[in-house]
Amino acid sequence: MKILYSLVTRRTFLNTLFCGWLIAFLSGCVYALLKFAFPTLGKEPDFVVLNVKDFLDIPPNSVKPFAWGGKLGLFFKKEDGSNYALKGVCTHMECNVMYKPEEKKFYCPCHKGWFDENGKNIAGPPPKPLEFFDIKIEGEKLIVSKKGIKVELPKA
Amino acid sequence: MIGFLFFILLLFGFSHLFAQELGIEVSPSSPYDRFTIYETLAFFWAGILGLIVIIKMKLKEIERVQSFGIDKDGRDSPLIE
Amino acid sequence: MNCRKLKSWFEERYDIEPFRRFLKSKFVPEHKYDIWYYTGGIAMFLFVIQFVTGIVLSFYYVPFHEVAHKSIIDIVTKLNMGWFFRSLHHWGAQLSILTLFVHAFSTLILKSYRKPRELVWITGTILLGISIFFGLSGYLMLWDERAFAAVRVATGGVGNLPIIGNFIKFFLRGGIDVTGETLTRFYAFHVSLLPLITLVLVGIHLLLVQYHGISVPLSQENEIRGYKPFFPNVLYKDLMLWLMVFGIVVTVAALSPPEIGKKADPLAPPPENIKPEWYFLFLFQTLKFFPGEIMGLNGEMIAIILISFAILFFVLIPFFDKKSNRGERSTLFTWIGVLYTLYFVIMTIIGFLS
Repeated sequence: MKILYSLVTRRTFLNTLFCGWLIAFLSGCVYALLKFAFPTLGKEPDFVVLNVKDFLDIPPNSVKPFAWGGKLGLFFKKEDGSNYALKGVCTHMECNVMYKPEEKKFYCPCHKGWFDENGKNIAGPPPKPLEFFDIKIEGEKLIVSKKGIKVELPKA
Repeated sequence: MIGFLFFILLLFGFSHLFAQELGIEVSPSSPYDRFTIYETLAFFWAGILGLIVIIKMKLKEIERVQSFGIDKDGRDSPLIE
Repeated sequence: MNCRKLKSWFEERYDIEPFRRFLKSKFVPEHKYDIWYYTGGIAMFLFVIQFVTGIVLSFYYVPFHEVAHKSIIDIVTKLNMGWFFRSLHHWGAQLSILTLFVHAFSTLILKSYRKPRELVWITGTILLGISIFFGLSGYLMLWDERAFAAVRVATGGVGNLPIIGNFIKFFLRGGIDVTGETLTRFYAFHVSLLPLITLVLVGIHLLLVQYHGISVPLSQENEIRGYKPFFPNVLYKDLMLWLMVFGIVVTVAALSPPEIGKKADPLAPPPENIKPEWYFLFLFQTLKFFPGEIMGLNGEMIAIILISFAILFFVLIPFFDKKSNRGERSTLFTWIGVLYTLYFVIMTIIGFLS
């Protein structure tokens, strides 16, 4: 059915077409540019692989740091010899925590936050406990992974 | 009006396709990557040529209006909003 | 709808009527040579591409000579589309320098430099020199064998200028020889000093063009077919051309990314058949034609002096061309302009082929 008169003026049609196409085109280009300018949005790894020899023999009631993506990870051997791994990042404002072996507690010096040896927040501003990881030993490899993540290493 | 919104939506969908291709993180040497690059270039050129055509249309229209000579007289007349 | 509200918010506070009237009053003459008017705009557009790609590349490039080469390899291999943006920056640079030469030579032959536009010409020639320095400093960032050797030759050549040569060489190199110090200061030139100077000079250059209006070649003053309003007619044509240029530079960048040579070794001999970037070839070739010794004087120094005089003449040509300043046809200077252009083109081609 042909209508007798146009619904929009030629000017509106052309301007809308132009602006729409231009925005679509430019947003595509800007997206590519931003993808390059912001490559990884601070994604943490799902797991890291460490050398068993470097960590298993640390003295009891001590920690050894390792790299968890760009953040601090701590390999923790309790007094009774059990091994744990946790993210050494305070749940308050993301400062690095330290282990105080005399008191068997983790301490965050930024705002004087305290965590017990299970990571539970016991004093100071931290709102949540420290994040603990799963540990698996496969031969020479020590695999530290986020809780619940199933790790399948590629056959080297 | 609805027709135009639909058109704009199509364009955005189009641009997402174009943008998506570039998001794949591969080195540009395998045949898959070469194909992706060519494909993206094709979309890119479609975008550029489309824009050039639209601007040409706008130019033609403005020239058509200017040939009426309406902007020559009354240049100093006050604008009515 | 939103546009209108924003517009009226702005107009209630700021009177842009004189600005609007100025925009409406800009007219571009139509004549046989009006196509050359577009070269300046294209050069500016390409420079904008360089600024944008350069800024994002500078997020990742490390200007320390130990890791500079590796940082570029990382950009090209590890980042999303890093190879593409580096390639785009490289080809954008080549094209913008080429466009600038076209713009310079076309304004030279068409004599746009004549009175009253001498300052437009002067700022333009300085900008040409700056863009070449942009090219040289950017090229060193790669810190591969070719770039290292090229900078050594270029700064060494400058050192042959009498009296001031050594001083300039020392300043550019940051020492007696090309070292990591050179890389650091070339990086400072490339990302802060040169962009700032460029912005200021391009601003002045553009303002002066607005002030004087666009120049018309002497031979065409009575052959003008008509006038087109800049907004929107010529602007649309500009936009279409810029889009084509954008398409071309992106396509070339995507299809032939530049290679990455071996990391530079200051103690190693330069690679075989080393040649500078194409925009230096004409100088390189000129130097080759001069014998090592002329009448007991250092041949290279004489060559550099002659080249410097030629460049100086080029920069100051508006003050030498008395005839066109008076508005008369000056065939002599047309031929001088053609000579400069042909010399540049032929020497570049010879340099390429040898």
